Amino acid sequence: MWGRSPILRGLATIILFLSLEVVSILLIANDSVFQRVKISGALMYFKSSISSATSDVRYYFGLKEKNEILLNENQQLREQLSKYKTKAEMADTLEGFSSVNPDFTYIPAKIISNSTNKLNNYIIINRGRRHGVQKDMGVISPVGVVGVVSSVSDNYSYIISFLNINQSVSARIEPSGAFGPLSWEGRSSDYATLTQVPYHIRVSVGDTVFTSGFSTLYPPDVPLGTIRRSSVIMGTHHSFQVKLFQNFNSLRYVSVVVNNKKEELNQFIQENEVKR
Amino acid sequence: MKLRGSILISFFSLLLVQIILSGLVDFGPLLFIAVYPLFIFTLPINTPVNKILLWAFAMGIAVDYFTNSIMGLNTSALLIMALFQPLIFKAVSRKGDLENQIRPGLAQLGFTKFALYALIMLVIHHVFFSMVESMGFTHFIYNLPRLFISIAVNTFLIILVEYGLFYKLMR
Repeated sequence: MWGRSPILRGLATIILFLSLEVVSILLIANDSVFQRVKISGALMYFKSSISSATSDVRYYFGLKEKNEILLNENQQLREQLSKYKTKAEMADTLEGFSSVNPDFTYIPAKIISNSTNKLNNYIIINRGRRHGVQKDMGVISPVGVVGVVSSVSDNYSYIISFLNINQSVSARIEPSGAFGPLSWEGRSSDYATLTQVPYHIRVSVGDTVFTSGFSTLYPPDVPLGTIRRSSVIMGTHHSFQVKLFQNFNSLRYVSVVVNNKKEELNQFIQENEVKR
Repeated sequence: MKLRGSILISFFSLLLVQIILSGLVDFGPLLFIAVYPLFIFTLPINTPVNKILLWAFAMGIAVDYFTNSIMGLNTSALLIMALFQPLIFKAVSRKGDLENQIRPGLAQLGFTKFALYALIMLVIHHVFFSMVESMGFTHFIYNLPRLFISIAVNTFLIILVEYGLFYKLMR
């Protein structure tokens, strides 16, 4: 049997070699103190590296659970923050206004399908009408804008990704405060373009870009990216290439933004337009 | 049967030579004598690797026992060398040499090839020997002079022993 298969024969040779070698090394360890110390040191190192590797693996498999816990915590914190912000704004005008309705609340969601390699990219998340998602709500992640809800089913929502050449976000540059639309040009998923910033405004490379909060879709001060390169268009406007913080390829968890005062605001705008 | 007999003869004669050289003469710390690898070099061609390993184990244990070295030190180095033996022999020899069951000695291979073969095998043996002795590469640099001197002297001794003991006997 051993003679027939070369693989089995090789295996037998290796096993024989290893066992003989182990025997001789055991003999060495038995015989000499120096080698014994060295060998036990090497064994300890081996043991500790294996145990650290297993703990790494265990940690990795626990990450999913941890992520969900963090997600929920983030959402709660964000809602609290929004509440406090509104409270602070109210504080000068309305003393003792206790039951505050926050401007923005968030629905955490998980991405089910995502694309980044097309000109019009779409995302599907696992939250829908039943969870309170409606059409035309914004979707953000902690480090950027993700997109706008385009259609909703009971349990799923279809999002037009920010990586879509028809999308733009109103963005503000810190510290100069200038703002303009940030849109994706359809090339790399890491870069977007910020245009229509007047030429006289001084902006330097590395400045951070945030959402401006001028739309009902996104809350203000969501970090978007940093300025990387600028060019001048027609001698009157800056155009900036912005390196996005968001890596759309590794995006897993997002939050749907619920603007609680959207109806009121829209109605107000409509009334005024009608009057005019 | 005749083959086994010649293997046994070479086993015991080399063991004896090794014991005499390393036990009775003190060469100082810069040189360790290892003539016994010659036994593994000159095992007949086409000996299965398993058999070579077992012979190497026996030889190593015997040398370790009789020369008062650390028990197992020569054995482990010789085992590693034995594992490489067929490979090195294939690289050194002509194709026709592999066909028949000859003893690959000085007379059969010719001086140049035998010296090259012995040198490569001894380098493997000595490097692993010093590695096992210091358990790692930490003292490797300090061991280098010792390694070079030992390899040179042992190659010379092995060619001498091969010439003196087996050259005419086996012809």
